[in-house]
Amino acid sequence: MNDILPQLDRVLNPRSVAVVGDKRAMGYFWLRNMSPFKGRLYSVQIDPNEIPGIVELGVSNCASLLDVPGDVDYVVCAVPRKVAPRVVADCVAKKVGGVSLFTSGFAETGEEEGTRLQAEIAATAREGGIVLIGPNCMGIYNRRLGVRQSVEQPAGDEGDVGFISHSGTHAINFSLIGAVQGLKISKSVSAGNSAVVGPADYLGYLAQDTETKVIGMYLEGVQEGRRLFDVLHRTTPLKPVVVWKGGLSEGGRRAMFSHTGGLATSAAVWQGLVRQTGVVATDSLDETVDAVKALLFTKPTTGRRMGLVALTGGQSVVITDAFEREGLEVPLLSERSYAELAGFFNIVGGSYRNPLDAGGTLGFGASPENLQRMLRVLEEDENIDAVAVEVSTRMMALQAPVGTPSADWLPEMLGRHREESAKPLMVILHPGHLESIAAQERQKYVERGIATFAGFEQAARAFARAVQYRRFAEGIE
Amino acid sequence: MSIASIIDRARTDGRKLLTEVESKEILEEAGIPTARARLATSADEAAAVAQETGFPVALKVVSPDITHKSDVGGVKLNVGSAAEAKAAFEEIVAAAKKAQPDARIDGVSVQKMARPGIEVIMGMSQDAQFGPVLMFGLGGVLVEVLKDVSFRLVPITPRDARQMVQEIKGRPLLEGYRGQEPADVAALEKLLLRLSDFIEAHPEIAELDLNPIFAYKDGALAVDARVILS
Repeated sequence: MNDILPQLDRVLNPRSVAVVGDKRAMGYFWLRNMSPFKGRLYSVQIDPNEIPGIVELGVSNCASLLDVPGDVDYVVCAVPRKVAPRVVADCVAKKVGGVSLFTSGFAETGEEEGTRLQAEIAATAREGGIVLIGPNCMGIYNRRLGVRQSVEQPAGDEGDVGFISHSGTHAINFSLIGAVQGLKISKSVSAGNSAVVGPADYLGYLAQDTETKVIGMYLEGVQEGRRLFDVLHRTTPLKPVVVWKGGLSEGGRRAMFSHTGGLATSAAVWQGLVRQTGVVATDSLDETVDAVKALLFTKPTTGRRMGLVALTGGQSVVITDAFEREGLEVPLLSERSYAELAGFFNIVGGSYRNPLDAGGTLGFGASPENLQRMLRVLEEDENIDAVAVEVSTRMMALQAPVGTPSADWLPEMLGRHREESAKPLMVILHPGHLESIAAQERQKYVERGIATFAGFEQAARAFARAVQYRRFAEGIE
Repeated sequence: MSIASIIDRARTDGRKLLTEVESKEILEEAGIPTARARLATSADEAAAVAQETGFPVALKVVSPDITHKSDVGGVKLNVGSAAEAKAAFEEIVAAAKKAQPDARIDGVSVQKMARPGIEVIMGMSQDAQFGPVLMFGLGGVLVEVLKDVSFRLVPITPRDARQMVQEIKGRPLLEGYRGQEPADVAALEKLLLRLSDFIEAHPEIAELDLNPIFAYKDGALAVDARVILS
């Protein structure tokens, strides 16, 4: 499609939304998804049994899309597949911005009728010049406007993370898991079978979208590989793109074909493309969330030299292993740093060569000022590019009565340090056996914009990926 | 002959696979150094060409139907005299006819035995989703058994060429292993970039196989080459 950007802009920032075919049996899934939407919302439903339930939701119903008053920017189509061609034709007649098809049973079935129906709706949309999202997808999510893919998704405030996904499940899960880790979605698209508009188009849009600072993608088969390659090439110098590629294993390819009808890519060719375009490649949802966190919440650096603060001897060893395993370095500090650390560091049951085995010196919380001193030393040390600090859920819980939030001195101090510091900072808050306390504690760091990870390995891997991206963008690698 | 006329001739013949002689001519035109091979269509011509080339020489069967020349007894290396070259021609043609009676045999290529170097391979194939993909690897067992190769989509940049060579696991072998002379990595990178340019300029080429390339401490030479048209 020529000049699709203004059209995508209309669809992804709709002022009016129509849901076609929502019904009680689906729990009015789509109309409820749109409940926080600030613009005009309409339902299109001809079944008289369904209409009272829709009216009860406070939504006006029309018998046809063509009867909806005014312009419609975005349509969600939830009708059976046989009816889909008529709805798409109505969308063209109504000159809507775009339509997403929740309806499935198209090319992903591999059977003749589904393939034919997909070709039919695609041709109608193309000729009519409207955006067709999917079919077989969960549509779009715009957090600011309250256009959602699920009632669980937060709405009302702005976000800065874009997401494009072949899978609706992954799009929704990314937004939900991301939300509790501080990631807010600007625009997310579930691309489904991508019969007309595909990941490369959405990527081109998010690349120029000023709201979007980092882009995440979940890809299965790629239909227009060359275009995706070109758009990735153009996007990565502007903003980081994190891509989680599914279906790289033998069995995964089979599953992928019946999911979105995608063709396989060899892992080796994919790896080549990743290095060529400077894409940040991940292998799971959690890795994708972590990589986006590292890119968004840590200050950009091309340096790999870590200053590490852990609470015990055992943790000091394994935090160092974790970061070095990911190609980061844990160097010795400068002479000046050692002279300063010698002035206050408790070397009985601790050491400060880097990593700093700091639990004793912090009095396990009794001497918070010593953490501030350590952070200042690492800040000024020219051998150090970035800092990671272990926070122990167990020690937090031991200090405070179990189940109640601990004192907030630590997140406050780290939040202040993050603001003042020129170097990237990350916090590792391992939940251990205290998951609910960890979740409460994590919120305090997340609120302060601190990149917080559930383990040393996750922090190290995510940060290594962020550094790799910065090095690519700076032309170092 | 120019690249276009070699391709035209093959098209007219209804052939997709270019012979070694044709493939090398094309690559030379593209600025890729090859161990030049000349076609001999008789035993006497083989002897004469060998004499002109200078001994020792290598003789290989030239046939549009034979892909793996050594499998059919179609290769003789280190041929040291005109008499041996004559005999080698007859043996190669006989062996190839026996192994593949239907194959059209154009003759035998004669080339100077290349000074041995570190064996590497470069190739191009078509990916269903991404189009032409360039490949680099170390030759022999490392590529066949360990699949120690790197890929990039065409076109590549100098950074890509550098990383393609860097990222293979067998890279220490290129740096001079156990007294072997190191490979001219810069020459290999340049070769990859030229191949990328060549592939971009000739979308009619479907596949390309330079195997082996001998890498020396100064430069590199494609010893065998195969070009397949789309």
